[in-house]
Amino acid sequence: MVSIALPKRPVSPTGVWGWITTVDHKRIGVLYGVSALVFFVLAGIEALVMRMQLAEADSDLISTDAYNALFTMHGTTMIFMVIMPLGAAFFNFLIPLMIGARDVAFPRLNAFSYWLFIFGAILMNISFFNSSAPDAGWFAYAPLTSNAFSGSSGVDYWILGLQVLGIGTLSAGFNFVITILNLRAPGMTLMRMPIFAWMTLIISFLIIFAFPVITVAITLLLFDRFFGTNFYSTAAGADPLLWQHLFWVFGHPEVYILILPAMGIISDILPTFTRKPLFGYTTIVLAGAVIAFLGFGVWAHHMFTVGLGGWAISAFAVSTMGIAVPTGVKIFNWLATLYGGSITFKTPMLFTIGFISMFLLGGLSGVMHAIVPVDTQQSDTYFIVAHFHYVLFGGSVFGLTAGLYYWFPKITGRMMSETLGKVHFWLMLIGFNLTFFPMHFLGVLGMPRRIYTYSGDQGWEGINQLVSAGSFVVALAVLIMLLNILRSMRAGQPAGQNPWGAPTLEWSIPSPPPHYNFAVVPTVRSLYPLWNEDGETVNPPDLPYVDESSIHMPSPSYWPLVVAAAITIAAGALLIWQWHSWTGYLVISLSGFLGIYSIYRWVFEPITATESIEAGVHH
Amino acid sequence: MALHRRLGRLKLITIASMVLAVLVAGCDAPQTTFDPSSDATDKIHTLYILVIVVSGLIGTAVLIALAYLLYRFRARPGVPAKQIHGNNTLEIIWTILPILALVMVGVPTVFAIAGAQRAPSEDALHINVIGHQWWFEVEYPGLGPDGESLMTANEIHVPIGREVAIHLTSNDVIHSFWVPRLIGKTDMVPNHPNDLEVFTPKEIGVFYGQCAEFCGSAHAMMRFRVIVEPTAKFENWVEALQTAPEPSDEGTFIASGQDVFMGNCSSCHKIYGTAAQGIIGPDLTRFGSRLTLGAGILDNTSENAEAWIRNVRDLKPIPEGILGSGRPAMPTFNEVLSDAEIAAVSAYIRSQTVE
Repeated sequence: MVSIALPKRPVSPTGVWGWITTVDHKRIGVLYGVSALVFFVLAGIEALVMRMQLAEADSDLISTDAYNALFTMHGTTMIFMVIMPLGAAFFNFLIPLMIGARDVAFPRLNAFSYWLFIFGAILMNISFFNSSAPDAGWFAYAPLTSNAFSGSSGVDYWILGLQVLGIGTLSAGFNFVITILNLRAPGMTLMRMPIFAWMTLIISFLIIFAFPVITVAITLLLFDRFFGTNFYSTAAGADPLLWQHLFWVFGHPEVYILILPAMGIISDILPTFTRKPLFGYTTIVLAGAVIAFLGFGVWAHHMFTVGLGGWAISAFAVSTMGIAVPTGVKIFNWLATLYGGSITFKTPMLFTIGFISMFLLGGLSGVMHAIVPVDTQQSDTYFIVAHFHYVLFGGSVFGLTAGLYYWFPKITGRMMSETLGKVHFWLMLIGFNLTFFPMHFLGVLGMPRRIYTYSGDQGWEGINQLVSAGSFVVALAVLIMLLNILRSMRAGQPAGQNPWGAPTLEWSIPSPPPHYNFAVVPTVRSLYPLWNEDGETVNPPDLPYVDESSIHMPSPSYWPLVVAAAITIAAGALLIWQWHSWTGYLVISLSGFLGIYSIYRWVFEPITATESIEAGVHH
Repeated sequence: MALHRRLGRLKLITIASMVLAVLVAGCDAPQTTFDPSSDATDKIHTLYILVIVVSGLIGTAVLIALAYLLYRFRARPGVPAKQIHGNNTLEIIWTILPILALVMVGVPTVFAIAGAQRAPSEDALHINVIGHQWWFEVEYPGLGPDGESLMTANEIHVPIGREVAIHLTSNDVIHSFWVPRLIGKTDMVPNHPNDLEVFTPKEIGVFYGQCAEFCGSAHAMMRFRVIVEPTAKFENWVEALQTAPEPSDEGTFIASGQDVFMGNCSSCHKIYGTAAQGIIGPDLTRFGSRLTLGAGILDNTSENAEAWIRNVRDLKPIPEGILGSGRPAMPTFNEVLSDAEIAAVSAYIRSQTVE
């Protein structure tokens, strides 16, 4: 073995090195959350610039190329770098706590997932500094993405960034399926899991089945662009609908990957603030599974106007309407949970109510799109933009925000400010509706999506001004949220173990939880282990004293980071290869060697650093 | 009594949605989807209103229920929460109710989809529209001289009351053909020809259309017009487009424009009956009677036409050089032609009108 002076394996590092080498699911969760908030601000700024441009007819504030890059990156960022990682932040932090485990099944793989996500996201955003940000839309329809029509390297950055990030997401999918199926505490049967754990299990399966499709679709595009193949080349006779089918077979389940975590979050928040069990727990679990299952059979509703023929369109119209049934059942069950309750209106509950009402509106406009003849007037207009913002912002973002206020005390040990929280909620609700409700009217008045300008005689200017004004109210609300987070981290009221009197397992341990989570692995006897039969919070039983140092936890490791970096550099090297082939070959070979070497080191690295020291002593 | 009250509420919501419809239609938006002017958009509009009423009713009912529950069951001292875990009967009921509501809208949807697939009738007017980055090529098969195709661009003339069957394709990327008041959109996909649903215009007028699928840098400026006119006027238009223009008198301003046009523009643009036979850019036969230029983005005035020839990129974000389709983009002429020459070209093409 060649002896290379490698940094020593950290045992219990502190500071930045501690975060970089962490394999602790809670720290990884925080990393996901903080990264997602940074990208949330970035995507928000992109949206505000677009709204400034559209506030005026015939505006020339920004160029069409800038506008196209902004809407492409706003969509891509919000989906892959904000909502998905925010969901990941919660399921990383919470799943082991909720099911009574000390970590996920594969802690180093978990770190690897995070590093791939952040490196992929950075790789894609570097394109802004190369003045060639992706500008073919987040949907990247062929043949506009071919070299002939998109000559700059923007689409290349998009492909490579998404590919890198996708490997991380897939790894996380496998990790959480295995964690949830195998690491549950004694007595934690599947039907005693919190709904959020259920929804995480379901979206992990969705990731495993949906992400390979986009990986293949993007790999074909990569070959078209880099190596001259003709999968999507219409000049060589390809039918560009191939891309659309592949993209939406991934793209529609992706929508449920974005919304189901939020549904899980609010299903766990509702019992706490109504002081009663969730109405129809089993039905809500089943409805989530049915939505996920049907989600693979509705992709062509994104393609109602591409010319699929009457039979296909009818079938997909009916299957799409079918989604409304389990979704409706969920909404009715949430309402029934309120019935007979003793409701308190803390900020997490306000955002939960916001979620239910805004998601309801988004769901109803979604059903309208299933009415195909009506959809021929709505698709690719601002009506669609209104619809999916009600679902993804009014739904996912409101739900995730509810989760932030609810679990912030568990994560940091401090409460967020209720006053700022209420200001945040009301500003957000007003700003959100001011921004997105009028977009329905723009759609009805015939304004297409993805246009960087419109002429004054089209009659859209007044409504656009209202929308743009609303977007700044949303921005203000987000600023207040960030202020609340920063302030509460330092000066928030100490939270204690269970500030909300909540019923689930994560509230039975200190806030923030110790690195080993549970000193003694709990035995679970009901769906709500911290509540008695009258819905009153009980203290968890006193547990025998356990010496912390006797708890076996995996040691930190930097190999997941190095492997992720090697993969990212290898991907980026394709761009170098385009510029200068031999330099490209060199970088690809070096990063390939680094990757293989680090995987080898990772695989043969003992689980804990102490073991490696002992092993050294014995030999 | 209860039923009566319920019907009253239904009526109220119907009226409310009609008020909404009027409000929306009242905005002076030529591209509105709420002012149908063909048999096809009429049917769509009826369905549209039905689905707005149904979802409006459901949405309002659920929001009212939500508000009521939140108020009624707010925390009050001494009133503990009822520990209810579920109720199978209720859950079955609210699984079946949405199914019924969906059948209500689903059945007409499937019938409407089937209806939209109907074949054109014998005397339908057939038109081929080909999408280009960023304009529409229009072809009337068989209407040209000697049974050839009649060609035009960005403005589609159709007679009132006659069924129109439009066939769509694209020469480069995916575009979408959409005239909100006349017909819902269908995409123009390269290598995948699509037939637009047949429709019969029932109102005379100029209707706005716009590309609805993102197609690159000038997507926002890929617009067009459909001109619905009396049959006689349509036939006159067809006749004019089949006729070679009167030769302009030697030495006139217009004749000098013709010379400049033939020297600089004719390899890309066609004017029927002249030496200009280019097929790369839009056909300019009888351009003087077009309402707009630049694919529906500017009024057809001499000022706009001159600005367009001088530097098209001041008006529309078109890249320079060869486009993805392999066709050259419209060049910039401000360094090739003098202002006088540009004015003459504009005068020449604008002089050819449909009388």
